[in-house]
Amino acid sequence: MTFWERMDKIDRRWIYLAVGVAGVLPFLFPTPFPIGVTPEARSLYDAVEALPDGSNVMVVYDYYPSTIAECEPIAIAALHHLFRKNCKVITLSNIPYGGPTMAENVTRMMADQYGKVYGVDFVNLGYKYGYVAVLSGMGQSIESIFPTDHTGTPLAQLPLMDSVKNYSDVAFIFEIADNATADYWVSIVNAQYGVPIGCGGTAVMAPKFYAYVASGQFVGLLGGMRGAAEYEILIDREADGVVGMQAQSLVHLLIIALVILGNLGFFLSRGRMKRGVA
Amino acid sequence: MTCFRLSAVVLSLAALYPEVSWAQDQADPLFRADRINALVLVLVFSAAILLYTRWARAGKPLFLRRIPGLDAVEEAVGRATEMGRPVLFIPGIQELDDIETIAGVSILGRVAKITAQYETPLMVPVRYPLVLAASQEVVEQAYTEMGRRDSYDKDTVRYVAGEQFAFTATVNGYMMRERPAANIYMGAFFAESLLLAETGNAAGSIQIAGTARPEQLPFFIAACDYTLMGEELYAASAYLSREPVMTGGLKGQDFIKMIIVVLVIIGVVLVTFGMGDWFVHLFEEV
Amino acid sequence: MRTTVPIVTAFIAGFVLVVAFFFRGSTLIGSLRDEFTAWITIIGGFTLALGVASIIRVNWTAVARRKRDWPYKILTLVAVLGMGIPSVLPVSWSSLLGNTPGSIYDWLFEYMQKPMMATMFATLAFYIASAAYRAFRARSPEATLLLVTATLVMLWRVPMGEAFLNLFPGDVPEWLNTYVMGGANMAVQRGIIIGAALGAASMSLRLILGIERMYMGKG
Repeated sequence: MTFWERMDKIDRRWIYLAVGVAGVLPFLFPTPFPIGVTPEARSLYDAVEALPDGSNVMVVYDYYPSTIAECEPIAIAALHHLFRKNCKVITLSNIPYGGPTMAENVTRMMADQYGKVYGVDFVNLGYKYGYVAVLSGMGQSIESIFPTDHTGTPLAQLPLMDSVKNYSDVAFIFEIADNATADYWVSIVNAQYGVPIGCGGTAVMAPKFYAYVASGQFVGLLGGMRGAAEYEILIDREADGVVGMQAQSLVHLLIIALVILGNLGFFLSRGRMKRGVA
Repeated sequence: MTCFRLSAVVLSLAALYPEVSWAQDQADPLFRADRINALVLVLVFSAAILLYTRWARAGKPLFLRRIPGLDAVEEAVGRATEMGRPVLFIPGIQELDDIETIAGVSILGRVAKITAQYETPLMVPVRYPLVLAASQEVVEQAYTEMGRRDSYDKDTVRYVAGEQFAFTATVNGYMMRERPAANIYMGAFFAESLLLAETGNAAGSIQIAGTARPEQLPFFIAACDYTLMGEELYAASAYLSREPVMTGGLKGQDFIKMIIVVLVIIGVVLVTFGMGDWFVHLFEEV
Repeated sequence: MRTTVPIVTAFIAGFVLVVAFFFRGSTLIGSLRDEFTAWITIIGGFTLALGVASIIRVNWTAVARRKRDWPYKILTLVAVLGMGIPSVLPVSWSSLLGNTPGSIYDWLFEYMQKPMMATMFATLAFYIASAAYRAFRARSPEATLLLVTATLVMLWRVPMGEAFLNLFPGDVPEWLNTYVMGGANMAVQRGIIIGAALGAASMSLRLILGIERMYMGKG
């Protein structure tokens, strides 16, 4: 087998090894590059920045633990921005597998940094089954869907919830999703109740959400770890998103190199076959 | 249909009866007039579906374009039979209340009839108990209708795991051990789509996928031999059965799509010439 | 009865939810809608319990009958019960119970489940590399277009690639964002979303009217 025929048929295990090395190397030898900010990320930042200080904001943890690498930096950056503006944060999740726990851990970690008090500055509503019913029901009354918070405390005992009865009391929704629940926030909440929604999601979901940004149903979009990095730059708090982009850069370049090699191998070995060379 | 009509009339009358005793505020009427545009669309849509269904029942021939992925299903099962290897079918990883899962389970019924006919082993891993119950019912019924009740194995449909990646890991392990000749993925998939499809490719299976999730289509297209995109998944049940009633519904849906295309073109022209505000406003306030 | 009752139930539930969309919550049908949506939550809670019961039954049976890989089934049962039982017991009994920070459930979730799920998701990076290497071949004009577009977008999405694209005249990243992501990509996504939505609506109508019955095993 010639070199180019080998390039056309590289064993996948070599590819896996190369990806593994490319993912680890930047952490050992950091090579930061400047990160540009997309208009979609900037418009989300501007929308949050334009909120009056002290506004009620829902932060929705609609992502599974599997995508924490992409979504948690977005959540952390969002909470930095919101707590800096002294916004009142109501968190919830439509993900049964650890959603409320992630909401609890991440929000509390950020709240401690800003000295925020549970029940006054932030509340975790937890999780309820049936996201369509949950999203629809909260339009009438949040308490009808979540009579207690994540720990079982009645909402009536939480001072923050005295002024937040349904969507009309919520100024903004920051949805962080790695699945199709974002579609329901658009079709149920934004379309029927008019609450502005900003979305952070995995890079896989981002191409689909461009349509919602263009139609104004999302005020802005953060796509994957790149989106997290952009938001960290905008709020001037570079963290995991920016650091992770270095590894992502190298892996992307590796994939492009493999694709080029594969195509060269494909054409050159095909050329040899056409010429009848053994 | 009589009980349906009666139920519809009773429910419609009940809808007009206010439950509350206080006087209605004229600024807050019972009927949501701001949603009239949606009502018109629902009525036109329903009328189109019902009209084409009626025409189909009356014997009017309705053309359906070829969907290569669905034509390949029988071929894939035949390949599995020749190789003496099983067929793997996954009806998505969502709960039964997801319309894609219902579409997947409907297709499972058709595929089960083919595997029953060819006596090919079938494996259906599922992620939720309700999907397990529905899939078992569907497969058993398919085998019974094909006169192969004795070939039906209760373990054909298995509840594997409730967590997405635990499910994926189990199915991947099955694929590498049993090497099914054909993998059919029909329903809602998320991040595991590429994990499943790439493992199936490594196992040497012919793969047919169908999902309405646009974000997963690129992975299936890259790793599978045939991919059904979006509405082709919902059309599959009608396409495979060729029943007039089902194909009529498909044609009605296409009619509505044509209306939407015409509206989009009209809107683009009007907005381009700066006269489209009133037209855009027609579709707001839902 | 076995066929008629589910079909009539599906019709009534579907009809109520569609019609209620056009009426205020204060009407009877609006109240019915609220009631039905509450029932979804209640029934859904029971299906979660059903799932737990099912997984315990299936794995216990496999262990009892010493089926293939039965030791792994014991691990599954230990995991289900070890995480589930402490989480539903009251926190007042012990701080290790319940699902608050510091509990057994929280520890297992933070230090076992989260890393395992993230690891499985991370393997996608390896799979996408091998899939891209195999699929992105310029076999036809369409495949070439796919290849070139994918390469440009992959470059644009990372800082190193963006720096490389900025070497070229014009604002290439901006062009990609506007015309590729915000143009071609968005148009195609909208087309697929609209088509899929119509397909789902058509299927839903067929289900409500009882035309589509294959999911019940009939048809």
